[in-house]
Amino acid sequence: MTGTKPILLAEDNPRDAELALAAMEEQNISDKVVVCQDGAEVLDYLYCRGAFKSRLKGNPVVVFLDLKMPKVTGLEVLRTIKADANLRSIPVVMLTSSREERDLRESYALGANAYVVKPVEFHQFVSAVKELGAFWGVINEPPPEVSRPEK
Amino acid sequence: MFWDAVWIVSAMESATNNEAQIPLAQAVEPIAGVTGTQPAESSSFWRTPVAWFRSRTIEQRILSGFSLVFVSVLVISAISYWNTSILVANGRLDARSHELVQLLSEIAEAMDETENNHRRYLVTGDELYLRDYRSVVKQKPMFFKYLEDLTEGSSEQRQRVGLLNQMIDRQLAAEADAITKLADGGFEAVKKMALEGFGKEDIGKIHEIVAEMEWYERQAMSLRVMESAAGTTNTIILLGIGALLQFVLLASVYYLIQCDITERRLVAEELQRRGELLEAANKELESFSYSVSHDLRAPLRHIDGYASLLRKAVADSLNDKAARYLETISASAKQMGQLIDDLLVFSRMGRQEMLHTTVDLHQLVNTVLYDLRLDLQGREISWTIEKLPEVPGDAAMLRQVFMNVIANAVKFTSARPVANIAIGVDRRTDEEVVVFVRDNGVGFDMQYASKLFGVFQRLHRVDEFEGTGIGLANVRRIVHRHGGRTWAEGATDQGATFYIALPTGEIGS
Repeated sequence: MTGTKPILLAEDNPRDAELALAAMEEQNISDKVVVCQDGAEVLDYLYCRGAFKSRLKGNPVVVFLDLKMPKVTGLEVLRTIKADANLRSIPVVMLTSSREERDLRESYALGANAYVVKPVEFHQFVSAVKELGAFWGVINEPPPEVSRPEK
Repeated sequence: MFWDAVWIVSAMESATNNEAQIPLAQAVEPIAGVTGTQPAESSSFWRTPVAWFRSRTIEQRILSGFSLVFVSVLVISAISYWNTSILVANGRLDARSHELVQLLSEIAEAMDETENNHRRYLVTGDELYLRDYRSVVKQKPMFFKYLEDLTEGSSEQRQRVGLLNQMIDRQLAAEADAITKLADGGFEAVKKMALEGFGKEDIGKIHEIVAEMEWYERQAMSLRVMESAAGTTNTIILLGIGALLQFVLLASVYYLIQCDITERRLVAEELQRRGELLEAANKELESFSYSVSHDLRAPLRHIDGYASLLRKAVADSLNDKAARYLETISASAKQMGQLIDDLLVFSRMGRQEMLHTTVDLHQLVNTVLYDLRLDLQGREISWTIEKLPEVPGDAAMLRQVFMNVIANAVKFTSARPVANIAIGVDRRTDEEVVVFVRDNGVGFDMQYASKLFGVFQRLHRVDEFEGTGIGLANVRRIVHRHGGRTWAEGATDQGATFYIALPTGEIGS
């Protein structure tokens, strides 16, 4: 099953990405994680274009979206996903530093499935990412459009 | 009246200038020249009303302008009415004079006729010629009654009427005497009389008096004509000046209102401009705090994260010292995270819209105590909580206030074996209710009382009591937004009392 259920992590900050991967490593799901460094890359992945032209077809099991990203912001990516009939079913979890009420309200209004504020403390951050990875990557049953191994 | 207008204009000229004394003097000087009085005296004379006028509000200025217009209209109307009455009275007197003159000439004519016919009678003895005489004798009292009526009010003319009466009586008496003589002695007895005419002198006298009276009346009439003409001219001039004055006054009032409107428009524009600036500043602040919350947290997370990863990576070779260093790095990162969070709350409390409801402080304090239950574990605290009232305000914000103050009381009594914390109402007036929170903790030196509520102000070292120094700043900010006050009393090692005064009426901000 490993590698068949990709988790998409949109994180422009490589350190944050590294820390998140370190956390997921403890959960043994780090090899499923695809890291995109900006919103445009996320859309490229979802629409199988650009660098992801030749990837396996299918949607990721979950998208972890940072709000503040270069080129296309998290909220714009979220809007695109939830407006596309083929992508709408992908669970989207906002994973961000912002606790601002405005961001929370807009994210949920656009159809975010969860909103997680990154804890400053590393232990809390690790446990949060681990739990998220475990829940969305393992426990939760994804919608049928998720990538299947094509043989 | 005219000078009132000048003063209004001069007052207005100076009112539009904002500099105090110089424009006042400028406005007054030219008037001094116009009046021709000594300038010094004049300017001090004008200064009082001008100063008075300048001290009035715009409403009072406009009202005084309209009052002056009203008064001038009243005065002009009164004077015009007076002049018109005189004209009407003169007209009536003229009619009487004409009648009098007419009557006098009739009397004189009748007397002449009577005298002539009387003479004819004396010569012919024909009774027919006595007809005039008889009618004169018969009508004389009526005529004189009429004369007296027409000369009423003029003693001079009355006197002449008396004289005339006398003369006519004498004339008629003489004529009566002649008639008797003719009847007794025949034509011979009165021949001389009849031929020469008699009482010529008296008739002449009568004519003289009539002429005098006529002259007098004509004189009076021409005087009245002059008087009426003068009155009419005065009225016309007065109406002209009045119209001019009212025009000036109304123009002044219009000018005042116009100035006021312009000023108000400018103020409104300025207000709008400032409102826009404020809104822009607020937006900027919002995006600033957004950046703070997002961007400042990330490096802290990295510091803590990599410190942890490092600790894990070198776990086997880590000595106690190195472990403590890593611990300090993590703790500092966490502390700064806390500072950022507190600052964000502080900034949010300043701009967040207030939700106005009625807040039950008693219930609110109980909720706060429930939220603090973890901090209260292992502590022995004797609580004294009085019944607290309801106040208008924002429940979440007020909760923050009591959370901070009560948590402080708990924190600063931590060294006491038994902590005493009392919460109650200090006093209650019609305008506000003062709630206190008293503890028997470490207290503070009153000379630092003013620093208590400042941002990042701490009266204790970090290793004594933790905290960022924002709690009480937040308390003050929220209470101020509710239109209330906060202060504290205490002494070192003898506990502290925090007072929160909240208005019981409607809240402003």
